Amino acid sequence: MPVKVDIEKEFYGRKHIKKKGVKPSFSMHCSFDADSDFVVLFGCSGSGKTTALRCIAGLENPDAGTIKINDTVYFDSRKKVNLPPQKRKIGYMFQENALFPHMNVRQNIEFGLKGLSSSAKAERVNEMLGLVGIEELELAYPDELSGGQKQKVALARALAPNPEVLLLDEPFSALDTVIRLKLRKELRTIQKRLGIPIIFITHDPVEAFTMADRMVVFDNGRVQQLGSPEDVFYHPKTRYVAELVGFSNLFDDAVVEGHGQGDECTFLWSLGTEITAPYIRRMAGDRVSWGVRPENIELVDSESAYAIRKEDRKNLLDGVIRNVVNRGTSRIMSLKLKDSGAVLNVEVTNHIFDSLKIGTGDECMVRIRPSDMIVF
Amino acid sequence: MSPLLLTLKIASISTIFVTMLGILIAYVLAKREFTGKWLADVLVTLPLILPPTVTGYILVLLLGKNGILGGIFTKITGSGILFTWQAAAIAAFVVSLPLMVKTATSAIGAVDRNVEEAACILGRSEFETALFITLPLAKKGIIAGCVLSFARAVGEFGATLMVAGNIQGKTSTMPLSIYGAYQAGNNELANLLVLILIAISLITIAATSKLGER
Repeated sequence: MPVKVDIEKEFYGRKHIKKKGVKPSFSMHCSFDADSDFVVLFGCSGSGKTTALRCIAGLENPDAGTIKINDTVYFDSRKKVNLPPQKRKIGYMFQENALFPHMNVRQNIEFGLKGLSSSAKAERVNEMLGLVGIEELELAYPDELSGGQKQKVALARALAPNPEVLLLDEPFSALDTVIRLKLRKELRTIQKRLGIPIIFITHDPVEAFTMADRMVVFDNGRVQQLGSPEDVFYHPKTRYVAELVGFSNLFDDAVVEGHGQGDECTFLWSLGTEITAPYIRRMAGDRVSWGVRPENIELVDSESAYAIRKEDRKNLLDGVIRNVVNRGTSRIMSLKLKDSGAVLNVEVTNHIFDSLKIGTGDECMVRIRPSDMIVF
Repeated sequence: MSPLLLTLKIASISTIFVTMLGILIAYVLAKREFTGKWLADVLVTLPLILPPTVTGYILVLLLGKNGILGGIFTKITGSGILFTWQAAAIAAFVVSLPLMVKTATSAIGAVDRNVEEAACILGRSEFETALFITLPLAKKGIIAGCVLSFARAVGEFGATLMVAGNIQGKTSTMPLSIYGAYQAGNNELANLLVLILIAISLITIAATSKLGER
């Protein structure tokens, strides 16, 4: 595995001074491996993603642990190895690009090319300009460029010295959607061409899902889950991760009633009724949480509801539409359930919603498939 | 030497040393944390707050034949440093250094840290980063510091009078000459010297604006 990270770091207030008896104000502990692929560090602001990335870059020092890239040890607290950022073969992109404002694009890109002849430098710069598609901007200064162009220059500058790994700290957050989508695609293409691992920070779930081969989910300085985007998004391991990846229907205080024949399912008492959930290894009387994604809730019209066989009447819920929000591409309906008064968020495509001819104040039935549920 | 040339000589030499040492001190103060940093800050700011005659008196103690620095100078050259143009230059240096340090520290501290970090990640040592990135980006502040220091050195009176006296042709700078002319009732000379000083100040301001525009 080219990338191996296992580090700890503690912060003590503003001055970062460790005093006896004082508890750390923030503590980060993360451990993950990556192959030559795209790793996304995902989580809310302040969850420790940037700290981890800066430690890998050498901009900050972990208190303990190891960082290994392609068999080179960048940091090892026990062997007292700590390569300065200058000696680490990394490329880094900042959120605000951090281009050198007093140098033009060419000078920015060639800044990391120490020790090359001027012809070799020129050749490499031209190669990079071509790679990101900004040949015509060669002599422009950063203040003459748009946000997307600046990030392209920053990418070219980071890749010019042939790094072994590329680290990106929310590089597209400050850009508009159209440019962001374009740059995501280009970055993926470049990564496949160069074959180097990329570690990418974002707090945007869509960006994380579309770009990642592997996701590392952070919360409060700890890794909550590690896996493919599908694993993380459809099978979150904790309530925190579920909320982060879009399970906007999460219900705590469900009580386990029992299990189905052959442990094929678990019965919960929640929302004022019996809910059939996927099997979870808990005893009757235990409290659990469960959730379902808004787009996975099935709308059932009243005619079909009567036709449903008794044995299929699992998780059939009755409610009144409290509110409908049009998100442009879909509708989010707030459904207040009759039995419990709990509110369910249901996402419906505009096409289906318009054909159903329902609106605020109408009654509505929904069904939740056990396979779409997650239980903690 | 005429008061004008003497003033320009003293102010220029003082400003050259102030710039070199000032940038170094400013970089350390802006970038480093160390025990006793607050003390260094106080010492550098002190000549800015102290009345010039107080600064002058302290310098006399240091530069006199029995003083720490004066003693060494006398051993090397055989004569005292007090009442020479070099002493005037030292006085100008001491009073104008804080202006340079304060302005440059602020300018260096304002350089975007991410930009400096980018330079480090691209393989440049701290020295190279300072030389190619930090200082060029702090240029406006550093130049402002130079100009303020030069102006301060030109106008230095109190400390200069104490360490160098007002010896005609040797240590009689423009400000001292103006005072001398005024005391002697030589209004023509005083007016002339004042006009020349105002002209120098205006040129300095104009030069600063031009440099600031670039």
